Amino acid sequence: MVFQGIIKSIAAGDAEQSMVLTQRALAQGFAAESVLEKGLIAGMDRVAEKFREQRVMVPEVLMASRAMHAGLSLVEPLLESSEKKSTGKIVMGTVAGDLHDIGLSLVKMLVMATGIEIINLGVDVTPKKFASAVRKERPHILMMSALLTTTMTMMKDVIDELESLGIRKNLVVIVGGAPVDAGFAKRIGADYYFEDAFEVRAFLVENLTKLISKKSR
Amino acid sequence: MEFTKLFSQSEVERVHEASLEILENVGMLVRNQKAMEIFSKNGCQVDMETMMVKFPREVVEKARKTFVPTYTFTAQDPKFDVTMPGDRPIVVTGSSAPNIIDPETGEERRATSDDIANIAYLINELPGFDVFSISTLAEDAPEGQFSLSRFYPALKNCKKPVRSNTPNMEDLKAVLDLGALIAGGEEEYRKRPFINHHYCPVVSPLTFDVDSTEAVIYLIEQGLPVYGTIVPNAGMTSPLSLMGTLTLGNAEFLGLATLTQMIRPGAPMIYAVLSTVADMRTGAYAPGAIETGMLQMAHTEMARFYNVPSGGYIGLTNAHSNDAQSGYETGMNTTGALLAGADLFNMGGLLGSLMAFDFAKAVIDNEIALMLKRMKKGFEYNEENLCLDLIAKVGPGGSYMDLDHTMKNMRTIAVLPKVATREMRRRWEDQGKPDAHSRAMKEAAKILSKPNKSRFSEELDAKVRGHFKGLVAGDAKWGI
Repeated sequence: MVFQGIIKSIAAGDAEQSMVLTQRALAQGFAAESVLEKGLIAGMDRVAEKFREQRVMVPEVLMASRAMHAGLSLVEPLLESSEKKSTGKIVMGTVAGDLHDIGLSLVKMLVMATGIEIINLGVDVTPKKFASAVRKERPHILMMSALLTTTMTMMKDVIDELESLGIRKNLVVIVGGAPVDAGFAKRIGADYYFEDAFEVRAFLVENLTKLISKKSR
Repeated sequence: MEFTKLFSQSEVERVHEASLEILENVGMLVRNQKAMEIFSKNGCQVDMETMMVKFPREVVEKARKTFVPTYTFTAQDPKFDVTMPGDRPIVVTGSSAPNIIDPETGEERRATSDDIANIAYLINELPGFDVFSISTLAEDAPEGQFSLSRFYPALKNCKKPVRSNTPNMEDLKAVLDLGALIAGGEEEYRKRPFINHHYCPVVSPLTFDVDSTEAVIYLIEQGLPVYGTIVPNAGMTSPLSLMGTLTLGNAEFLGLATLTQMIRPGAPMIYAVLSTVADMRTGAYAPGAIETGMLQMAHTEMARFYNVPSGGYIGLTNAHSNDAQSGYETGMNTTGALLAGADLFNMGGLLGSLMAFDFAKAVIDNEIALMLKRMKKGFEYNEENLCLDLIAKVGPGGSYMDLDHTMKNMRTIAVLPKVATREMRRRWEDQGKPDAHSRAMKEAAKILSKPNKSRFSEELDAKVRGHFKGLVAGDAKWGI
């Protein structure tokens, strides 16, 4: 079964095999959507489950997501363009003064597979830069990351900046990073906090459609 | 790894010289008849009336010539054999506590043979432990089976080297019978003697006892594995100065070593100690004190001078629960000893200064043992491990997370603890804020609720039970 093969190749972090099998599935006539759902995403689900049970480690998750992206690169051009557009947009970055982006990249890698469009502003992003990206890109979701206890407070400055420009209201603000927790997220007026990339991904898979439709543009 | 040194070479030599002076001028009181005869025959001045033995320095120096640098613990399963110093640190459970902290009620009570079976199985499974020294006594021992009720459940459930003592010759011979029965004959047993005997034949200050000394002499004569631990307690049975206790303890080690080499030149030994400083506020015994670690470090330095393996009861605690005290006492003293080069760590599982075994403490000590072993493994200095190519490849601002090199090393470079938490506070709170004790108990339960694959075969068990009538059940079972 070709989907089982794709799932296995992703769980093993084998990018080459993942591409070969994705190609084979498409050649056998399976729709791009079902290759994505039943093969690539199912593969990452398997990895997420193993990660939860501490049967794989973070580097293996990275390898797996790389294998998934290898397959995705073949599937993506074939997906219905209308479908791609409707899945939403995320702006993300690490806050000003903070140069840490491993967590951010991991979130990006895992979330990308949901088909959502991601604009990654990278590291050391000032409140003004976040605000202007939000104004220009009109994303559904803003994701901020910080590793340092001294920079996590910048998240509040970003939210304040958005408030003062009147562009906070219809935006879902998600925060994360090692020193951040749910209590902090609440205090600074963010909407959600997630502990790791798999939690974010699970949340988006579950709620993305709802979030997008709720938002009035 | 370079070892920590507390003394200069001339200071080490002075401690040795001073020990010789003590043995030559003060001498030792030898309460065991056979020992007196051996000392007398081999050049010591022995007063049979007063039992005082004085050791001319050349007698001790002659014995020193036949010291051997290695000591092996043999196991029922050869894959568990360990030899010092190559396999250092050898981590051993603490032994012969009368009590156990009941895993169900958390209350201290007398330990039984069933407890020993559970402990044996647990130690068999915990990778940090190399030798199972029988942790407790068995309150339920039938008349005349005091030692069998300990060794049978231990050997039945643990394939690692088993170590302990016996109170008299009758018990010792019964235990050796048990060993021969398991091995399939006395000759077979002697090829791989998997019962490792231990005694404290020297009672500080400077006294050989009757029964332990008798057992030690017998086992050395038989060529069976045995070693002794020297146990001075500063302020009580040795001078209240670290130097004085080190020197007295060193003299006592040399006394025992001389006896050993007189009986069988080349007999393997361990320079093992439990040198302590009494808490003079109350006279309390304080094996968890930092001075225990300091004394171990110094004795280890002396052992290196003699080129014999060293160690002892190091990493014990006075704490009555798995609290911060139990962690820092075990952690600090074993770390010091490891850095000084000690080979043997009798450290696992006991609370309340050797009074009670606790399952969670054993699991925590397993983790400490894994940390010590990690520390001993060290930095693995070599050109390849400098990773210069890798550092150039990733460059500034990159990440090492997804490299093959990282994948290759991620399970071996760091100890991956099961007790220590690495989680963020929220998840820990969600789990009900478990402390180290409860996380460790969970690990113990996870191991002990599965059947023991290393248990005696039914056939062997029937043979043993047929030979020793009325033996305790000796089966590991976990009811929680």
